[in-house]
Amino acid sequence: MSEPKHHHAPVAKPVLLEAREVTVRFGGLVAVDAVSAAFRAGELVGIIGPNGAGKTTFFNAISGVTEPTHGRLMAAGRDLTGAKPHRLAARGLARTFQTPRVFSDMSVLANIEFGLKFAGRRRRKWIFWGDEVGVPWALRDAAGILKLVGLDAHAGLRAGDITPSQQRLLEIGMALSTRPKVLLLDEVAAGLTEAEVVEMARLIRRLRDELDLTVVWIEHAVKILVRHVERVIVLHQGRKIADGPPQVVIRDPEVIEAYLGDEMSEEARP
Amino acid sequence: MNDRQILTRDLLVLFSLTGWGLSLPYFGSDFMVSMGLTCLMYIALSSSWGLFCGNTRYLSLATSAFFGIGAYTCALQLEQLGWAATIALGAGVAAAVAVVMGAAVLHLRGTYFAVLTFGMTELIRHAVTYYEKSVTGTVGRVLTVVPERDTIYLTVLCLAVITVGLSMWVRRTRLGLALVGIGADEQRAQTLGVDTRWVKLLGFAMTAAVAGAVGAAMSVRWTYIDPHTVFNPFIGFQTVLIALIGGAMTLWGPLIAAVVFSLLAETLRLQAPQVYMMSLGLLLILCVLYLPAGLASLRWDTWKIWRDDIRAWWKERRREWTGEKERDKRRAREQRLV
Repeated sequence: MSEPKHHHAPVAKPVLLEAREVTVRFGGLVAVDAVSAAFRAGELVGIIGPNGAGKTTFFNAISGVTEPTHGRLMAAGRDLTGAKPHRLAARGLARTFQTPRVFSDMSVLANIEFGLKFAGRRRRKWIFWGDEVGVPWALRDAAGILKLVGLDAHAGLRAGDITPSQQRLLEIGMALSTRPKVLLLDEVAAGLTEAEVVEMARLIRRLRDELDLTVVWIEHAVKILVRHVERVIVLHQGRKIADGPPQVVIRDPEVIEAYLGDEMSEEARP
Repeated sequence: MNDRQILTRDLLVLFSLTGWGLSLPYFGSDFMVSMGLTCLMYIALSSSWGLFCGNTRYLSLATSAFFGIGAYTCALQLEQLGWAATIALGAGVAAAVAVVMGAAVLHLRGTYFAVLTFGMTELIRHAVTYYEKSVTGTVGRVLTVVPERDTIYLTVLCLAVITVGLSMWVRRTRLGLALVGIGADEQRAQTLGVDTRWVKLLGFAMTAAVAGAVGAAMSVRWTYIDPHTVFNPFIGFQTVLIALIGGAMTLWGPLIAAVVFSLLAETLRLQAPQVYMMSLGLLLILCVLYLPAGLASLRWDTWKIWRDDIRAWWKERRREWTGEKERDKRRAREQRLV
C-alpha cells in the first residue's frame, strides 16, 4: 500500500487519522472509490467536490457511521476499521452532521453536557494520541464550550428553539463536548450568511490554532473553503482527484474539469 | 424547582402513595384489594415499559411474553423454592430471554421492532402451548401451594414501589440520559460516545425483569394458569395503552393512567364490557390528539388553552351561521375591485 503524498508540511507531524483505500459500495453504486488520505496533527484540511462526489459518505466511513466495504481506518497507528462511532468518539474523533442534529427537546446547555457525560467523560488527557497533553482549558466544562462557540447567552433555551445558524454552532459545540483531537466538520457553512460564514471560519481557525485540533472540513462551496485551509482534497465521483495546497489544486485541469458546469471554478480563484 | 426539590417532591409523593397502598388491605373490602392489586400490577408494568420504551421510543409489545414467562416460572418452581426466590427467578428468566430477544431485534426500529416483538411473544406462547400438549400432556398448571391474599398484595405493592423508585433513579443516571438520547437521535447519541447496543439491551432486560417478577407474583392469584391466560397479548397492549395515555416519557404518567384505568375497568367492565373498551379507545384517541405528552402533562394552563380554543372555534362558527363572514368577504372583494 502506497503512502499518500503530501505536498506541504516541511515539518512532518505525526499522522493522527489515516484512511487507506477506503471504498464504500451501496449495492451496485460505488459511492467512495479507494480513497486514501492522511491527516496530520494540527492540520486544517478541506474536502471539496461537486454534489454527489461522496464527501459525506467518506466522512461516514471514517467516523464509523457507515462501515467501509473495503479499506482500513488507522488512528495513530492503530487499526480501527469497523469500530462503532462511540468507540471512535472515545478515542478522540468527533464529527458534525450536515443538517444539525441537536437534541431539540433538551436545553442548549444539556446538549453540550451530553457529550461531556459520555465520550468526553474520562478524557482529561489525550493519552491515546501519543502526546500526553491536558485537555485545553476551553473544553473543561459546558460553560467553557458554550463560550467558545458563542452560545453562552442561549444556554437555557430549548435547542429546538434557537435559529438554524445557532444550531450549527451548537452542533460544533456538541462535537467539542466529546473533547476530541480530530474534528470532522460536514458543510458547517452551508446556508449561512456572508457575515456568519466569516465568523464560522474564524471559529474553525481558532479551534485549530488555540486548541490544537486537527480539523477536516467538507464544504460544497469551494470559494469559502480555499481561503481558510492549508490543504485541499478534491473528490469527484467517489475518487480522490487532487490533494495539495489550495492555490495548486484549483488550477489543476482535472479539478476544473470536474467543476465545469458548476458555478464554482471561476469564483474559486483568489 | 431545581433538581433536588423535584427529587424530594417525587420521593414524598412515592412515600405517601406507598402508605395508602399499605393501609388498603386493613380497611378495604376484598373487592377493593383485588382492584388495588390490578392497579399496582399495571403501575409496575407500564412504569417499567415507559422507562425503556417511552424514553428510547422502541415500542415493545413483548410485555405479555415476559409476564407469562414469570408466571410459568412461578408455577413450576414455587413448591421447590420459597416465595421471594421464585419471584427473583421469574425476573431473572424473563431478563435472560429479553437479552436474547433484544440481541436479535434491537437493531430494528419503529414498526419492524414492534411487529417482531409481538411475533416473538406469539412464538413463545405457542411454543409453551405445544410443549404442554405434546410433552407433558397437560393444558395448564394448577398451583396448589398459594400464599395468603395479603402476601400477594404486599409483594405486588413492593414491586410497584421498586419499579417507580427504579424509574426515578435511572432518570438521574447516565443510563437514563443515554436512553433519552437514543430516543431523540440514536446515531447522534452514538457519535457522542453512547454505546447504544449495550444501553438498549440493559434497558430492555430491566423492563423484562419487572414484567417477569410481576407475572410470577400475579400467577398465584389465578391458582390455575394456562398459556392463553398468562401470555394474553391484551396484557401487553393494555400496558402500552396505559403508558401512552399517561405519558410514556414521564415518571408519574403511567401511574396516573394505571389508576384511571383500573377504576374504569372495575366500574365499567362488569356492567358494560363494551362501554369499557370503547372508553379506552376514546381516551387513547383524545390523548393522542390533544395531549401528546400524556395525562401527566395536564396542567392548569392546558385547560385554559383548551377553553380559549373552544371559544375561538365557537365564535368563528357563529360568525359563519349569522352570515357575517360572507358579508365581510363580499366587502373585501368589492373594495379590491374599486
